[in-house]
Amino acid sequence: MIYQIARTVEDGIVAFHGFGSPLVQLALHLAKQTHAPRLVLVAGATYGVNPNPPFLAPTTNDWVMSQGAQCHLDIEELFDLAASGRVGRMFLSGLQIDRWGNMNVTRLGHEQLQLKLPGGGGGCNLSCDVAHVTIWTGAHRASLDGKGRRRFRLVEDCDFITSVGHRSAKGKSRSEMGYRGQGPDNIVTELGVFDFDESGHARLAALYPDVDVAEVRENTGFDFPVREDLGPVPLPRPEMVDLIRNLDPLRIHERELAPQERARSFALA
Amino acid sequence: MNTAIHTQADKRCDLAHLVSHVREGDCVAIGGGLSLREPMAALRELIRQGTGGLRLVGSAHGIDVDLLCGAGLVAVSAESYVGFEQDFGMAPNYRRACESGAVEVRDSCCYTLVQQLRAAIAGLSFMPIRSVRGTGFMEMHPEFRTMTCPYTGDELVLVPALQPDVAILHAHYGDAQGNLHIEGPPVADILFAKASRKVIATVENIVPPERLAKVGVTIPYFYVMALTEVPYGAHPTSCYPLYAYDRRHTGEYYRLASRGAESFRNSYLRTYVYGCSTHADYLEAVGGAETFERLASWQQGSGAWMNLYV
Repeated sequence: MIYQIARTVEDGIVAFHGFGSPLVQLALHLAKQTHAPRLVLVAGATYGVNPNPPFLAPTTNDWVMSQGAQCHLDIEELFDLAASGRVGRMFLSGLQIDRWGNMNVTRLGHEQLQLKLPGGGGGCNLSCDVAHVTIWTGAHRASLDGKGRRRFRLVEDCDFITSVGHRSAKGKSRSEMGYRGQGPDNIVTELGVFDFDESGHARLAALYPDVDVAEVRENTGFDFPVREDLGPVPLPRPEMVDLIRNLDPLRIHERELAPQERARSFALA
Repeated sequence: MNTAIHTQADKRCDLAHLVSHVREGDCVAIGGGLSLREPMAALRELIRQGTGGLRLVGSAHGIDVDLLCGAGLVAVSAESYVGFEQDFGMAPNYRRACESGAVEVRDSCCYTLVQQLRAAIAGLSFMPIRSVRGTGFMEMHPEFRTMTCPYTGDELVLVPALQPDVAILHAHYGDAQGNLHIEGPPVADILFAKASRKVIATVENIVPPERLAKVGVTIPYFYVMALTEVPYGAHPTSCYPLYAYDRRHTGEYYRLASRGAESFRNSYLRTYVYGCSTHADYLEAVGGAETFERLASWQQGSGAWMNLYV
C-alpha cells in the first residue's frame, strides 16, 4: 500500500502528509528517496520541510518527525500555500468514502449522532484547494458482523461530508463549485487501487495478487466500473521494502491494518 | 474588538490566580496540539476550580480536550480534530460527551479557524475562503455565508471573526512582563495570542528580560495578561527539547478513560487532578525525577528516543 501511495506522488511538487497517517508518511519518504527527489515534503503537524526522521513516532507532531528539516512553516503558511494553488498533492482518508470521493471523519448517524469521530483536521479545506488528492484506507475489507451485516468503509452515502470529492451530495459537480483543486485521482486500499472516470466516479484500476473483482465488489457499498486494462498492482523492489522497514522500526504503520491484512505477503521480483 | 493591551511590569502570579482569569462559559483556545506542548497543568487547575460551560476552539488536539470533557467542563467543541491518532485512536471522554449530548458538536477545520482568527486579529468582521462549500460544515455552521466576489465573480464563503475570551498557552520561557518564547512549532499559539481577549500562560522557566530577548520573543508581552512558572507544565504532552511525550502515562490515561465516565472520575481524576492540590504533588504522582529523567533521555540518541515509544 505504501508503494501504491508513493506512486501517486509527482516529482517537484509540494506534498503534505497530515497527521494520523503513517502509511502516507512512509510513502512520501519512499517517493522522495526514489522517483521524486525534488519533492517538497511537508510533514503534518510539525510543518517541517524535507525532514529526515530517524524513525516514525506514534504521534505526528513529535520532534522525531521534523529532525533534519530544512525549515518549518506556520500553520497559516501551509494552508495559504494550498489556497493559492501551490500544494500539488494531499492525502486524505475517511471512515466513510463514497463513489465520488466524498469522505466522512466527523460523525456517524444522520439526525441522531451515533458515533462521534475524531474530526478532519484541515482535510475539509485541503480537499477543495489542493491540486490533487490521494485517498487511502487500510480497512476496505468489510467483514460480516454478528448479525450477518457488513459495515462498509466504501459506502453508498456518507452520513456527513467532511472532505469533498468530485460531486456533492446534492449532485453539484466540483467544477460548478469553482474549486481550483482537481479532486481525488486515486483510492488506494488493501484490496486494490481505484482511479476516477470522466464523470468523477471511482473505477477499479488494479488489484493485489491475492484479490479478485468479486471480492472487491463484496466489500464495497456501491457499484463501480472496472478499467478494461485491469491488472495486478506493480509491486515494489526489495530495496524499497528495506527502506520502509528501516524508517519504521516500531512498525507504527501496521496500526492502520487489521492483523489478517498484516499477515498477507507477496513474492517480489 | 480587541482593545486591551497589558503593560504591567510584573505579571507573575500563582497557578490558581492565573487560571481564575477563565470564567464560566468562556470561549477558550488551548495552545499546542495533539501530543505537543498543551498547557496541561493549567487545565488540571481549571478542573480543580470547576470552571465549566466552556466553548472550546482549536485545530488538532488530544488529551487536553479529552481531559476537560472527562471532567464535565465542556459545553461546546469547535475543534477540528480530537483524538490520539494511530497511537491510541479515538478520544474516549470526548466521544462519550459528544454522543450523550453533553457537548455540542460544532467541529471546525484548520484553515477555517485560521481565517476566523485572522479576521479578529485584523479587526475585521469576517474573512473569505474558497473552500468548505459542498461539505457538511456549511449546514453545521449556519453563520457561514456565501457571496459573489465583486472582482472575479467567483463564489466565496465568509467566515466570521473569532475572538476567544481566553487563550491558555504553555511556553518554554517567559520574562516577568510576559514576553514568551516558544521553541519548535508554535502550532496556532501565535494566532490565538493575537486574536484572544485575554492570554494567560504557564512557562517552564521565568528568565531575565535580557535572556529572553536573546532567545527571541515569540509572543510580545502586551498580549499577555498573566503568567506562572510551572516546570513540566505540559506533561504528559511534550515540551521539547526539555522533555518528550510521556507515552506511558498517556497509555494509562487512555486505559482509565476507556472504562467509562464514572470510572475515569474515580480513578484518573481522583489520582492525578483532585488528589494533587499543587503541581508539585502531581509531579510526584507521575513518578517524580525518575519520570523526567526518562523523558529527557531522547537527547541520548535515536535508540533512547525510540525506547520511550516501545
